[in-house]
Amino acid sequence: MNRIIAAALLTALLPALAIAHGPSRKKEVTTIEIDAPADKVWEIVGNYGDMGWHPAIAKTEATPGELKKEVSKRKLTFKSGAVFTDTLTRYEPDKRTIAFMTNDEDHKELPVEGYSSTISVADEAGKSKVEWKGAFYRGYMNNDPPPELSDEAAMKAVAAFQKTGLDALKAKAEAAK
Amino acid sequence: MTSMRERVALLLVTACIAAPFAHADAPREALITSQLADKVDVIDLATMKRIGDVAVSGRPAGIALSPDKSTAYVTAPEGNELIAIDASARTVLWRLSTGKGPLGIAVNPRTGVIYVANWYGDEIAAVDPVTHTVTARVPVGKAPSGIAVTSDGATLLSADREVDAISIIDAATMKRIGEVKVGEHPFAVSIDPDGKRAFVANVVSNDISVIDMATRAVVETVKVGARPYGVAFARGKAFVTNQAARSVSVFDLATYTSLATITACDYPEGIQASADGKSVYVACWADNELIRIDVDSLTVDARAETSDGPRAFGAFLR
Repeated sequence: MNRIIAAALLTALLPALAIAHGPSRKKEVTTIEIDAPADKVWEIVGNYGDMGWHPAIAKTEATPGELKKEVSKRKLTFKSGAVFTDTLTRYEPDKRTIAFMTNDEDHKELPVEGYSSTISVADEAGKSKVEWKGAFYRGYMNNDPPPELSDEAAMKAVAAFQKTGLDALKAKAEAAK
Repeated sequence: MTSMRERVALLLVTACIAAPFAHADAPREALITSQLADKVDVIDLATMKRIGDVAVSGRPAGIALSPDKSTAYVTAPEGNELIAIDASARTVLWRLSTGKGPLGIAVNPRTGVIYVANWYGDEIAAVDPVTHTVTARVPVGKAPSGIAVTSDGATLLSADREVDAISIIDAATMKRIGEVKVGEHPFAVSIDPDGKRAFVANVVSNDISVIDMATRAVVETVKVGARPYGVAFARGKAFVTNQAARSVSVFDLATYTSLATITACDYPEGIQASADGKSVYVACWADNELIRIDVDSLTVDARAETSDGPRAFGAFLR
């Protein structure tokens, strides 16, 4: 079964290799303070096998046994039905930092390409400060994009996605403490 | 496989490269394209402080310098422009529309001709630095990004990202005379100091293809970190920025053995070695920094603040 999931993920990733990245990458940094211990917050956000803490995500399919292994892959199904694949690019539990990057995006869900997220949890006197650094290209891989795939559309969508995620993470961690 | 004799020859070649350039001066300034700020920052390298900037537009990315280093040429991919800057006065001299999505840029060290890779136009444009006009266009593979010119000014290479190949162009006639297949999605290409080998950073296969310039064959593939962006050379070593691994890979130019993986910064991108070979400078896109690596100790020994989103894709030290 694991092998089937791995094969499915690999196949899903192949078309992504043909996608070009335009020359201008954008940034979005979102932070939140959470009244829960950093280890508790890291337990939730550092689990590559389950991104269900984000309200937009309905299902996470990862390869069990590779949840801490850099360059392992997963498939994310959104509540809208949209499907993304992504790659774990960094896993550093000693720094409570995880980073992953989308390979295959559905522009109706998020109008972005190559969206990488670095999420870090810092201990601040028993409470937590979480930082989510996004780096991404707009959805339209050429000059003169249509409005729905412009830089502005990508920046607005990523800012909202990261804020919604961190707000939900806060609610979940504070309820569980 | 390389034979013993070839290995010895390579070692000799590298020994020559590694010989210090006794008269080469240390650079004074770095000119950094800070893409998100629409600026070119001027960083004083003695103090590692930003001492000025030039406002441009169009999301500047690529950079190259005139042979006398008095003029900086910057590509603005979203403005479809080449922008010439007086590096001392820090003012824009002229701007020219070169085609769709200009990104990679290089200057012919003998003639001063400027070459621009039009990412969306699948072509290289040659620009006359005196008349400020496009004098030739040569079609290459899809999505050309990095370009490089040999030190004799005779040959131009372009990394054609979407077709996994390097185009070889005769600079005198501006004709495409060959192609070499490399790894997946080549982004940057650099030619070693003696002009014998080209090093190609493949962003998807996470490796460097080494091309022998004489035989136009890939002679070695060197594994590096995630999403390699640029290659520089100093004192017999190659330095590679790994964007997604926050590191700089260092390997020996003669044996291709790994010497170090330096923890650098978040999204290390543009990279260049000083002419004296003492330092390697790296632009850190996510951290808004220019960092300096000491070539002997292979450690980061200084950091300078830049404007938002520094890329410095090309040659930026003067």
